[in-house]
Amino acid sequence: MGTDFSQPQRQSIVGIWVMFFYALQQYGRALWPIILIWAFKFDEINKVYLVVGMLLVFASIGVVSYLKYLNFTFFLDAENEEFIITEGVFNKTKTAIQLRKIQQVNINQSFIQKLIGVYELDVDTAGSNKKEGAIKAISHELALELKSRLLENDKLQRVVGTAETTLEETEQKLFEAAHPFIKISFLSLLKVGITSNYGKSIALLVIFFSTIYENFQNFGDESNIYKEKVGSYIDKNLVLQTILTSILLLFGVVLVVNVTRIVFKFYDYKITRQKGSMLLSFGLLNTKSTIIKPEKVQITTVTRNYFQKKMGILELKIKQATGGEKEERKSIIEIPGCSETERDSILRLLFHQIPERGQMLQPNYRKLIFSVVLSIGLPLLGFLGIGYWLEPIIFEYSYVVPFYVVVIGLIQYFKFKNNRLFIHKNFIIKQSGAWDVSNDIIEPSKIQAITTSQLFWHKKLNIGSIILHTAGGNIEFQLANYSIVKQQVNLWLYEIETSDSNWM
Amino acid sequence: MENFTNETIDTSQLPKFEEVSFTALQPKYLLVVLIGLLRIIALLVLVPIIVSIFKPEFFSGRVWLILGIVIPVFSIFLIVLSIIAFKKKGFAFREHDVLFRYGVIATNTIVIPYNRVQHVALHEGLISRYFGLAKIEIFTAGGSSSDIEIPGIEKEQAENIKQLLMGKIQKQL
Repeated sequence: MGTDFSQPQRQSIVGIWVMFFYALQQYGRALWPIILIWAFKFDEINKVYLVVGMLLVFASIGVVSYLKYLNFTFFLDAENEEFIITEGVFNKTKTAIQLRKIQQVNINQSFIQKLIGVYELDVDTAGSNKKEGAIKAISHELALELKSRLLENDKLQRVVGTAETTLEETEQKLFEAAHPFIKISFLSLLKVGITSNYGKSIALLVIFFSTIYENFQNFGDESNIYKEKVGSYIDKNLVLQTILTSILLLFGVVLVVNVTRIVFKFYDYKITRQKGSMLLSFGLLNTKSTIIKPEKVQITTVTRNYFQKKMGILELKIKQATGGEKEERKSIIEIPGCSETERDSILRLLFHQIPERGQMLQPNYRKLIFSVVLSIGLPLLGFLGIGYWLEPIIFEYSYVVPFYVVVIGLIQYFKFKNNRLFIHKNFIIKQSGAWDVSNDIIEPSKIQAITTSQLFWHKKLNIGSIILHTAGGNIEFQLANYSIVKQQVNLWLYEIETSDSNWM
Repeated sequence: MENFTNETIDTSQLPKFEEVSFTALQPKYLLVVLIGLLRIIALLVLVPIIVSIFKPEFFSGRVWLILGIVIPVFSIFLIVLSIIAFKKKGFAFREHDVLFRYGVIATNTIVIPYNRVQHVALHEGLISRYFGLAKIEIFTAGGSSSDIEIPGIEKEQAENIKQLLMGKIQKQL
């Protein structure tokens, strides 16, 4: 704790460059149409004016950046336990963040910041959608120190806690020492890239082939004679070969795109333990780092498909409590390409034990029938209806029908087969998905509200649905044994209402 | 530590949320709902009439016939639906949680324990205020799908309920 944060201080001096580039980026984005027009009319413009104008623009941005740098200060107010940021050249803004409200402190690095060699520090608080405080340019050591100072308050609270928690803490420290960190290797990322996002790839393939087929049809319609003539020239094998190679090529392209995307996003994924929290950092160009506090985690999802199972990898998604719905997507933290042992150690850190699967609930077979009617019956009816009354031409595409029925039928069947709810004393696990099978894990204490729902004709059958609302999203399970569901709801309510467990 | 016990919970002995008797909404509230519907139906009737004044050639006898059948059927359907919806709505305040039941085809029951309530609000619509009714809104951290809105409560009672809930939340803190 060498640095004194109690006096207002500025960012790193090189931070001027960061602000300069950010401002440049901003103007560039706002003015790109004008710049484009200039670029096209380059020859007509007086070069002297252009150079002078450019210099003026750069100079003014530079001056503004410098003024911004001068006016941006931050300090820790020890007395009021606040972190205070003052900024603005003409319109001054003073942001005071109470230390105890700080949820997360992230240290990120964008591409520009990486070039200049500084880091960005974001302060996240509970109960607001946007990032409240951000320091755009700060050296790494200073950022780490400030981060630990900002989160120090948390530690204080814990020390004040009962003897039990300190015992837990020492236990955790031992645990931390035993397992220093998890690193996701480049190989694992490659595996993830190869085995994920099949849905997208297949959709791309379907679009590709439907366009090819359509073009082929048009071509055939226009010149039958030509086709006959050409038919003798072109070997049928050749056509088949080109089609096959194009399929392979497309698959290749999809795979490469997928792999690069994942490598760029998650390169050098490191997980470190710190005071019972998880510290993540990842990214090739934009390095992101974030903290996960176990008590703020709401839903943990473990996803894997058949290939990933064979390769021994899986994907973890962690949803934390969110202030608003807009933020929901942002606060999902993905950990791709974990091995099973890594998954277990992460889960142990989050839940202090490995989640167990308790009593199993299955949906009634009516769920399968319902989803088949909805996904196969209705579209078929629509198809027949359109063909019969409106456009008989679409019957020419009838060969798609059996294909569609088989594929969608299989998907629905596996979805139904994998759909399970496991209820254990300390955990609720919902399993779902056709190809990518995911397990959503929540603790009963994270439940905010419970909705039960029953259609009136299901009363006699004793089946019904349940939605568990948490601060990180809902867990829904349909058409289960309703008396078990009701009994569980009563038990969960009892547990929530008799303990003041902290859900956040 | 001496007071610490950890006996097995007999789940069949727990208070059952499904056996709670629900309080129906104020009968006056049905009037509020129907007046709201009347506005929609009036709009449905007025729009064709206004259009026919400005563009009489737009409507043939057949169109009038179809409109003459569709609008009343649709209106009756809406009215019946909202009467059923009104009848199915009910609420209950237990010692530790609040329950709200709703739904026409499906019967939904949402339960929010008091120690998960974030804040409580009272809302008076224009028509509701005329009838002296108010709506209680109970918010949790679970997003909009897990909030409860209980309409059609006497203003005074609503205030009392709000005070009760506030008291419960304060006690939790």
